[in-house]
Amino acid sequence: MSFLYPLFLAGIAAVGLPIILHMIRRQTRKRVTFSSLMFLRTAVPRFKNRSHLENLPLLILRCIILCLLAFAFSRPFFLREAGDAQVPVARRIVLLIDTSASMRRAGMWPRAIGEAQSALRDVSRADRVCVMRFDQGTETLIGFEQWDAMDSTRRTAAAAEQLSKLSPGWASTNLGLALVFAAEAIEDDEVNDEQQKFKTHRIVLISDLQKGSSLEALQAYEWPEALELEVKLIAAAGSTNAALQLIAGRDHPARTAGDELPSVRITNSPDAAVERFGLSWAGEDPAGTPDRATEVYVPAGHSVVVRAPQRTDNSASGKLILTGDDHDFDNTLYMAPRLTYQVNILFIDSDSAGDSEGMLYYVQRAFRATGSIDPVVISRSAENLTDADIAAAHLIIAADAISPGHIDSVRRYLENGRTVLLVMKSPDTVKTIAALAGIETIDSQEADVDTYAMLNRIEFKHPLLAPFSEPRFGDFTRIHFWKHRQINIDNLPGAEVLAWFDSNDPALFELHVGKGSLLVLASGWHPSDSQLALSSKFVPLLYSILEYGGILASRQSQYFVGDNVPISPWSGPESANIEIRKPDDSVIALDAGQESFTQTDLPGIYTIQSSAGNHIFALNLPAKECQTAVMPIEDLEGLGVFVGAAQGGFVSRASSPRFEGGTPSTLHRVASTFALESEQKIWRWIFIGLLVVSFIEIAMAGWLTRSPSNL
Amino acid sequence: MELRAKVIVEGFWKGIHRSPYHGFSVEFTEYRQYTLGDDPRYIDWRLYARSDRFYIKKFEDETNLRCHMLVDHSRSMGYGSGSYTKSQYAGTLAATLAYFLYTQGDAVGLATFDDQIRQYMFPRNRSGYLRRLMVALEAEPQGSSTKLGPPLQHIGEMLTRKGLIILISDLLTSIDRLEPELGYLCTGGHDVVVFHVLDPAELNFDFDSPALFQDMESGRNMYVDPSDAQISYKRKLEKHLARTESICQNLGIDYHLFATDRPFDLALLDFLQDRMRHRKRIRHRGRPKGRRTI
Repeated sequence: MSFLYPLFLAGIAAVGLPIILHMIRRQTRKRVTFSSLMFLRTAVPRFKNRSHLENLPLLILRCIILCLLAFAFSRPFFLREAGDAQVPVARRIVLLIDTSASMRRAGMWPRAIGEAQSALRDVSRADRVCVMRFDQGTETLIGFEQWDAMDSTRRTAAAAEQLSKLSPGWASTNLGLALVFAAEAIEDDEVNDEQQKFKTHRIVLISDLQKGSSLEALQAYEWPEALELEVKLIAAAGSTNAALQLIAGRDHPARTAGDELPSVRITNSPDAAVERFGLSWAGEDPAGTPDRATEVYVPAGHSVVVRAPQRTDNSASGKLILTGDDHDFDNTLYMAPRLTYQVNILFIDSDSAGDSEGMLYYVQRAFRATGSIDPVVISRSAENLTDADIAAAHLIIAADAISPGHIDSVRRYLENGRTVLLVMKSPDTVKTIAALAGIETIDSQEADVDTYAMLNRIEFKHPLLAPFSEPRFGDFTRIHFWKHRQINIDNLPGAEVLAWFDSNDPALFELHVGKGSLLVLASGWHPSDSQLALSSKFVPLLYSILEYGGILASRQSQYFVGDNVPISPWSGPESANIEIRKPDDSVIALDAGQESFTQTDLPGIYTIQSSAGNHIFALNLPAKECQTAVMPIEDLEGLGVFVGAAQGGFVSRASSPRFEGGTPSTLHRVASTFALESEQKIWRWIFIGLLVVSFIEIAMAGWLTRSPSNL
Repeated sequence: MELRAKVIVEGFWKGIHRSPYHGFSVEFTEYRQYTLGDDPRYIDWRLYARSDRFYIKKFEDETNLRCHMLVDHSRSMGYGSGSYTKSQYAGTLAATLAYFLYTQGDAVGLATFDDQIRQYMFPRNRSGYLRRLMVALEAEPQGSSTKLGPPLQHIGEMLTRKGLIILISDLLTSIDRLEPELGYLCTGGHDVVVFHVLDPAELNFDFDSPALFQDMESGRNMYVDPSDAQISYKRKLEKHLARTESICQNLGIDYHLFATDRPFDLALLDFLQDRMRHRKRIRHRGRPKGRRTI
């Protein structure tokens, strides 16, 4: 029998305690009150010899309890056979290598590869290995089955070859997801293993364990009981790392074009040795050397927000560079100019622009230019309407019936996924609805409104009206409709009513035509029809329609590495000929119908080349990736991850002497003893015995206490 | 207490008629030859008829006895290995004597003490006074340690008229100064009687097992093995008793050692026999006559 913690056996020496107590108790128990001690002299209590020990069975039981306790804590286990300790236990290992941007720091990647190769050298022939890399996502380089299929002599070489092809990217670190992925890979492989010959499961994590790693995926994952995580920490050479992030870089509607210089946040690492940094724009020369640098003071562990320095050139895009810290992977901030694009709103009616009794008057005032969009309301009467106007429009508001000659154009417009708002100023407009819906007739008439009508039921769950869903925004009762039209939508297949009048007539309904959406409002917003234009709901409603039609889809100019960049706002109706030029001058042609660009793996300035023109956007490092301080290993343990202690510590630091002192064979043997003990769990039986003896002792002591002759 | 004393005393009187010890009762008759100037009212005419001489019955002129009982109320008197404590025994003894003297018409007073006088009742022979005395004797000992010096000195200073002083105590204290302290009372002309009350356990120290002994007065703890300590204890106690008795003898004080398991009537009988012997001894030594003693 062997013991995992033999030092606890020294606790058996504690059996002397009850023996002494049993001796002493007899001497000092009886007390006598006497009138005077003047004729007495004190005597020394004498220990009686062992033959005079009373309650010997009780004493023996108490000694057994102490012995069992010491025995259980020493964690005994049986070595199975003589050769067992020498035969390596078959293990299932996942080698997980961090390739996030923070691994680009000087000297870290070669050390990480060295650690990975060292771990591969420790792998025995019986082991089953899977090699993975991870940053924001996780990728399997060599799976378990692939490893098994390879010739056993070539496995390590093949894995090393895969490792040599690896290099750290620019993405952020999702460590939680990678660990879950690796654990699930082991579990999947275990399910397929019918013989269950792999007793030890381990994930060898080679990472810098930066604080900015995302661990959310572990919160909803129950870590397997027998799976051990071994962390090989790759420590950086220098501790000072300052990071650069753009503030309000995303297009804020309140900002206008030509605004002042952008604000940037500079964050210094908590263990930084340097607190002064330089901030400058990269020069125009190809080398990108910084020109005049502005000095910035950032205390360790703090962040400051500063204005970017004045630029010497007038180029549209720029590269802001931070200097002075130990690691420069996060010192460059790429900036694309804020984009203001024109939104064409085609208003079909014969209203004059200055007529406050008409609807155009209010539409023109509702759409104002902002920092990101420049709405242009184009008014056309039904007679003057051209197909070009329709094709150029981002949104069509039709307050008049569309002539049959343009119905097809509008229908195509809708089928391309655009939105048309049709306002029924008169029952005749229903013909346009019928024509666009592809049916012959729809019943419609002027409603008989007693005094006024109100909106009764509103579908706040619909995306168009969702902005009004909060109670403080959802009060439409103050909008009175003097006149409205009744439409029988029973004949309209697929019509979805979004709002009803209190007479149960549809007030606003949606009809899907192709990919687009035809919205029909059964009343106008001009004063003779309703109070809608004068209410606080009017402008939000129009912008909600713009957003619902995808016109306000985010046309950002700043993204992070790993983001999906939506293409549709740039592409226009036809997206067939869109190409994107990456910072490394490679050009990627997008497939037709592709809605987003996903190869955002490199920070820098990207150019979207399309028939609508060239647009640029900038890609930067995620802010969390710049948090390079080492995460406490307790964070992982707190999420249930079993971090192995087989190497004399929780983390084996690559440069640590502790790691260098332990040979792989020693470590393996220690791991085997742990596994054996964990498998046998003899201490549980000892504790059961301990409980039984304790109960007997309690019962016996109680019986002795009750019998006065034994006191 | 009063009832207990009454039963003991009345039982004692009844026993007298059957007792073989005739004539030991109190006799105070004493004659003196008539001299000129004596009051002729006290001439014993019967004796004159027999002897043709004038004798004066002088005792008729003597007043009643004044008796002071000094009862120890220290904490050690609270000890009792049997059904009653030394304090209860001493109280009953004092009450018995008080009742006995009271029925004779003597004045009885009481002083309880530990290291000083705690309660003092002047000797009187009024109706109801005996009851107050009994109530005072019934009180449990509340004092601290025993010290004979200050109480005896205090009593000696208070008493101006000669009388009988009965000291009832366990005398478990240092007796180095006992002789001068009792001597102070004797030189004042008082007749002193010492009743030394001890528990049988104190006399024999017959405990069977080792134990932690606690002093009732000082609270001090001492581990004692009786098998080892008994001989030494008894030797010291006997020495203490012998020395006490010796002091009393030297001073002419009646000394009586009472174990609390001894019946009261026998104890009272022993006492009166001793008193009788003492009186005869005094007569033989020619002490001034006319003094009434018990």
